[in-house]
Amino acid sequence: MKKIVGLSCILTILLVIPTMQYVLAQDAPGEYLDRRVEIWNLFFRMMTVAFVIGAVVSGTLIWLVWRFRESNPKAKPTKYEEAGEW
Amino acid sequence: MSGHSTWPEWVYVGVVVALLIWVGAEAWNVERLIEHVPEDAQVIKVTGQQWFWTFEHTDGTKEIGELHLQKGKPYKFEITSKDVIHSFNIPDYVVLQDAVPGRINTVWFVPKDTGEFPIQCREYCGLIHYNMRGTLYVEDTA
Amino acid sequence: MVLEIQKPRPIWQIMFSTHHTDVGLLYLITSLAGLFMGGALALTIRLELFLPGSQIIADSMTFNRIFTVHGTTLIFLFILPFASAIGNYLIPIMVRYKDMAYPKLNAIAFWMIPPGFALVWLGFADFGWTAYAPYSVISAPGPAADMWIFGLKILGVSSILGAINFIVTILKCKHPDLPLSKIPLLAWAYLTSSLIMIVAMPTFAAALLMLLTDRLGVSGFFNPARGGDPIAYQHLFWFTFHPEVYVLVIPAIGFMYEIIPRFSRKPIFSHGSGVAAFILLSIVSFASWAHHMYASGMSFTEKTVFMVGTLAAVPASAMHVFNFLATMWGGRIRFATPMMWSVGGIALFFAAGAGGVVNTAMPLDFITHDSYWVVGHFHLFVMGTIAFGSFGFLYYIFPYVTGRMYSEKWGNVHFITSFIGAVMVFFTQHVLGLYGMPRRIFDYPPFPEWVAMNQFASIGAMLLGIGAAIFLVNMIYSAAKGKEANMNDPWGIGGKYYYPYQQKNPHH
Repeated sequence: MKKIVGLSCILTILLVIPTMQYVLAQDAPGEYLDRRVEIWNLFFRMMTVAFVIGAVVSGTLIWLVWRFRESNPKAKPTKYEEAGEW
Repeated sequence: MSGHSTWPEWVYVGVVVALLIWVGAEAWNVERLIEHVPEDAQVIKVTGQQWFWTFEHTDGTKEIGELHLQKGKPYKFEITSKDVIHSFNIPDYVVLQDAVPGRINTVWFVPKDTGEFPIQCREYCGLIHYNMRGTLYVEDTA
Repeated sequence: MVLEIQKPRPIWQIMFSTHHTDVGLLYLITSLAGLFMGGALALTIRLELFLPGSQIIADSMTFNRIFTVHGTTLIFLFILPFASAIGNYLIPIMVRYKDMAYPKLNAIAFWMIPPGFALVWLGFADFGWTAYAPYSVISAPGPAADMWIFGLKILGVSSILGAINFIVTILKCKHPDLPLSKIPLLAWAYLTSSLIMIVAMPTFAAALLMLLTDRLGVSGFFNPARGGDPIAYQHLFWFTFHPEVYVLVIPAIGFMYEIIPRFSRKPIFSHGSGVAAFILLSIVSFASWAHHMYASGMSFTEKTVFMVGTLAAVPASAMHVFNFLATMWGGRIRFATPMMWSVGGIALFFAAGAGGVVNTAMPLDFITHDSYWVVGHFHLFVMGTIAFGSFGFLYYIFPYVTGRMYSEKWGNVHFITSFIGAVMVFFTQHVLGLYGMPRRIFDYPPFPEWVAMNQFASIGAMLLGIGAAIFLVNMIYSAAKGKEANMNDPWGIGGKYYYPYQQKNPHH
């Protein structure tokens, strides 16, 4: 449940808000777009995605390294070891 | 061919591709927005040369190493170089475009904050590239 | 074994040999010389940038020469020769043939490297390894610039000859009973990277010649006053060098394809995916070159095309990461030195790629172009992936070459200092770039954030240097006095250390 809530929050920030902005925004005369704001917004949205994926990939890698190290008490030979071929 | 289930890999590739499409679409959209130059943007001619910047306003005023602009007004830079490639950069306003001899590159912005902001060169241009700096002064409209 | 220090072979026997193991050894020694010499320049740069103002380098021209030769050396005189070294040792073995297809040409290709090396180092040009016109034409001092041009010309020809040899050996000399689909992934890595090389490199050869004739005043290819266009140089350069960076990284991924399955005691999760990913990457790598030129004044459409081309190359790299993770899953992993380097290399490969995806989003390039973000990004690839993969493979091949074992403890210390050092330097440089610090600058204004990050990065660089020193001592000492290796299974993991050391060098 928490994961769904978390994911929805992230998706909202990343998809819904920019889409709404795209649909609803117009430049009123005298009001100009601030390129700093647009660019840094994009940057931070992409950083959010990059770090979420980074957490998944590095988390997976760390778990793999921990769980499948040969000194792990749960470690058992792979099915290829019996045949001696891998 | 591989003797194992391949669907996890296809799902993974699908997720990666979807993500990349999102990246591309967002980037395309923001670029589209920021490249749209307002009609009333005042042109400032920027010339880079080894190793300083010169500026020319529409009324003919010239400045060397310093640029005085007014807050809240849109400006379009027309940038070129007299010798080698330089790159005109105001990092605080994310203004960046190469100064290439024989061509004019443009970038526009609106300085929304008053103050002093560094200008630097962002393309290696030789001995004093590291110190090819200037200052942008943004003043309140009088 | 080719390098038995306790029973040395006459040096001229190795130098005049055309046997692939000897040529491999020559490439290996040259590449390590390049690594240490280019690395020393890097440490000099990081020491200089520890504080604003001049520290150990007297003036900006010297600094500019140092970063130019640093980049040129590490790419052309470490990464490429190192890949050739391993390719020479292992390709004939992997395809079950007796030598390379053209042994004499092989030796010639190697012997072009020392003159190229000498020209680059005796010249010490100052225009960055990219040598952009018009600076490199009208402003860069000769004879340094001209020596660099000639040096790179020679090195480029050497690379092309080596690539031809690899391709013909793999495609035409492989054993009749061995179908192409069954050759090891490392051989596929060499096949695809060599194919990219022969398609991409000639464009740079043209660009070099055009630079030279422009410098001589005979032509005006890049001179607007004579109808030329400086941007044309960038297109020619990056048309070669974007695919070229894949030539640099693909062998390192291939090294990981050797090490990760072996030390996980499992075959690779999907050989087919690895092949498909290499082929896909080599084709798509040609579609992205102008992402290096987003700030040069390209139109919106052009930038979009190259952004799409860049993004298209990401799934292939992602497939390799998946392959490695899926191989480790369910294995029983021995974290010997080669495995540690490969796993660390994969982690940094991912980080490098993520930063690259951010960079290729066109508007974000306005923040990152020619800043330290780019420096951090590409170093995560060349150091974090390629050098890490190369170190891992060097440790792996050490028993094969010398018949002895390196010190496992010091190999692990080398890894840990290098991993921490690499993260300290290159992750920090991403942030430094976001704060606006340009690259290729001798000095910087004393903004407190810039100073702090530069100092942190320099400390990381010193760690990398310490690791390299440990490595050098380990390699030399162990080659001479290390414990003799069990050549069937140097790490005692079972399976086969199966690139048969039985491949005899005829001089032994």
